[in-house]
Amino acid sequence: MSPADRVRRALRRLVAASAVERILISSAALLLSILLGAVLVLIAGRMTTCTASDAVYYLGVGFCYDPVLVFDRLFLGALGEPFSGGWSPEGQFSVTLRETTLLIFTGLSVALAFRAGIFNIGTQGQMVIGGLATAILVFRAAGAVSGVAGTVLLIPFGIAVGAVFGGLYGSIPGFLKAYADANEVITTIMLNFIATGVTLYLVSGAFKDPESAANQTVPLPEYAQFPTVLFGGRQDFSLVALAVGLLAIGGLYYLLEHTAFGYDIRTSGLQPDAAEYGGVDAKRTIVASLTLSGAFGGVAGAMYVMMVLGTFQSGLPSYGFDGITVSILAGNNPVGVAFAALLFGVLKSGTTVVQFATDVPPQLVGVLRGLIILFVAMPEFFRMVGRRVVDPGSDPVAADGGTTGGSGDE
Amino acid sequence: MSDASSEATGAGSDPDPAPTADEGLLESRSTRELTAWAAVGTLAVLLLGGAAFPDTILGVLADVVTDKNTLASALRLSVPIAFAALGGIFSEKAGVINIGLEGLLIISAFTAIYVTDLTGGIWIGFGGGVVASTLLALLFAVVTIEFRADQIIAGLAVWLIALGLAPFASQVIYNGPNTPTVATTGSISVPVLAEIPFFGALFSASPSVYMLFVAVAASWYVFERTAFGRWIRASGENPKALDTAGVNVSRVRYAGVLISGVLAGMGGSALSLDLGQFTGNGPTMVNGKGFIAIVAYLFGNYNPIGAFLATMLFAGLDAIQTVLQLQGIGLPRQLIRIIPFVVVIIVLALVGRTRLPAAAGDHYESGEE
Repeated sequence: MSPADRVRRALRRLVAASAVERILISSAALLLSILLGAVLVLIAGRMTTCTASDAVYYLGVGFCYDPVLVFDRLFLGALGEPFSGGWSPEGQFSVTLRETTLLIFTGLSVALAFRAGIFNIGTQGQMVIGGLATAILVFRAAGAVSGVAGTVLLIPFGIAVGAVFGGLYGSIPGFLKAYADANEVITTIMLNFIATGVTLYLVSGAFKDPESAANQTVPLPEYAQFPTVLFGGRQDFSLVALAVGLLAIGGLYYLLEHTAFGYDIRTSGLQPDAAEYGGVDAKRTIVASLTLSGAFGGVAGAMYVMMVLGTFQSGLPSYGFDGITVSILAGNNPVGVAFAALLFGVLKSGTTVVQFATDVPPQLVGVLRGLIILFVAMPEFFRMVGRRVVDPGSDPVAADGGTTGGSGDE
Repeated sequence: MSDASSEATGAGSDPDPAPTADEGLLESRSTRELTAWAAVGTLAVLLLGGAAFPDTILGVLADVVTDKNTLASALRLSVPIAFAALGGIFSEKAGVINIGLEGLLIISAFTAIYVTDLTGGIWIGFGGGVVASTLLALLFAVVTIEFRADQIIAGLAVWLIALGLAPFASQVIYNGPNTPTVATTGSISVPVLAEIPFFGALFSASPSVYMLFVAVAASWYVFERTAFGRWIRASGENPKALDTAGVNVSRVRYAGVLISGVLAGMGGSALSLDLGQFTGNGPTMVNGKGFIAIVAYLFGNYNPIGAFLATMLFAGLDAIQTVLQLQGIGLPRQLIRIIPFVVVIIVLALVGRTRLPAAAGDHYESGEE
């Protein structure tokens, strides 16, 4: 049996055994994070002050924030009040889908790198670079065309620009890892800081909109932005962009599962030594997967510019870091990314509703982001709990020698 | 002689497909030395050039580099990074890669201000920051050692939790991501020694700088001279041998991670109490210092003194760029600010593969349980 066959078989077994378990673990992690978030809201409610009539009482103790209200607002608010009648797609629900669309791209970016065994923490920076490039080049190109034809030409152009610049920026840590052995976790984080600094320099200087006080580029004309279909336009959401996102999910799924390059990526991630033995060019795979990962990040930036803001402004929201959570929650599976992005989209969009309805700070979602990652990262915890529940009384038996060194999968 | 020549040819015929661990060490040590010498050489050229042409940009730079205030601010800036780097050494040598140092700095920086504001005692606040960081490190230890979480992912989670939690708490308590200002630690000046030109800065500094000197020396002593230091090393290099010798590997790893929590906590508390305020916008006031710390100890080859010197290199650059900014020289502000991050990448690329402790990153399962 050739090493490639052996790897293929190991892969298949691993996927079959872990798919259901992964979904269970992700759901349990999400639930546990929300519970802990509720506790945090209660504690925060004790630390702030409010009038007695505003407080809620649990077990005779008064709290300024009500976690039940917070999560009610968070989920129902994000879905556009589905139970109170008069649901319309133009409200908060389209904000949720907008966030979902952006998170799909950053989630895919992180997931692709993860599958190749690479931690791309730099999606944020790749998104920033791609977004700025899109804002500048699409504006330059917008003068040449106009109207519907302009939209048809400019949107694909903008996405391509975002992909190319994000991809180039992503290739930097790729080359550094492949040819200089520089740890990609550190280099990508440093490149995030560098991207922020460089873009701030550019949009406060050479590419600044002279008519605006903010550090931003000249706004794109209406026809150079994503058209709104069905959803009105109030919330800067475009169904077209979401469709592009779903296409990207399908594309990455196909690439990973049905192409030779995808096979190289997956084997490099699972068994780097076996992959190289089986003829995979490790260095090329590293550079290629980080470049492609960066391209997804860059497209997220392009989407943000052409769908949400219509311009590039310094200080982009941290979709790149949220992408880490989305990808980990999805088990780094492109199809899973769709569901994880929707879930996290609900969290992000719901936070703004919570902010209106209560005084709970919006940074709550940032805490949940970290907690979810932490819990998904410790599957052993849930396995232990699971064993207790399913089979109480029997202690897990340790294998003799104990040299296996923990579970093989992440 | 023959040894030296064979080594030279070995280094010359570089493209070796599968370098062994020893060759990797040799290779990285020589690049590391090269980088260090390059830094020293640049400095020498700068000073000589500055002395020869005092009116040029070289002269200005030489003035800045030899200024007592530059050394003072380099020391001040190195405090959080060096403390975190020392902590990282303890954790990673014990076999747990702690990429969450940034999060430990953030949580301690906020808590130090909060507790100081609450109690009015600066040193109580300092202790509060250390406790907060140690608790977060304990969570990290439980998750990675007990529940075998992937160390890198769990470390990222620690960072992101702190990145959310500190501004969240600040918003709840102070209605904004930035805290109000509290009293600062001030500085201690040794009477006569502080008057020495340039090096006088070493003797007129905030208490945290002296604490850092003590921590560097103590860490070095622990690793080189004590049984506990040997256990830590063994726990990362050969946990099985440590287990066979009757020492509990888990317990040693817990100790390593908790010490990293204490040290990073001291760094974070010192950072915010030095300014008397915590600012929580964007990447917060910690702004990547925890990640720079990781590069500092990799560059310093897991040696506390090496890590401190590497930190001084980064902090020195930072100090110089601050002075240049104030004098309004050369590059625009936004670009000058990214210089330290660029240098970190260059250093990392030059140092290349660092020889991690053999068992770092792996979960260790003892036979019992």
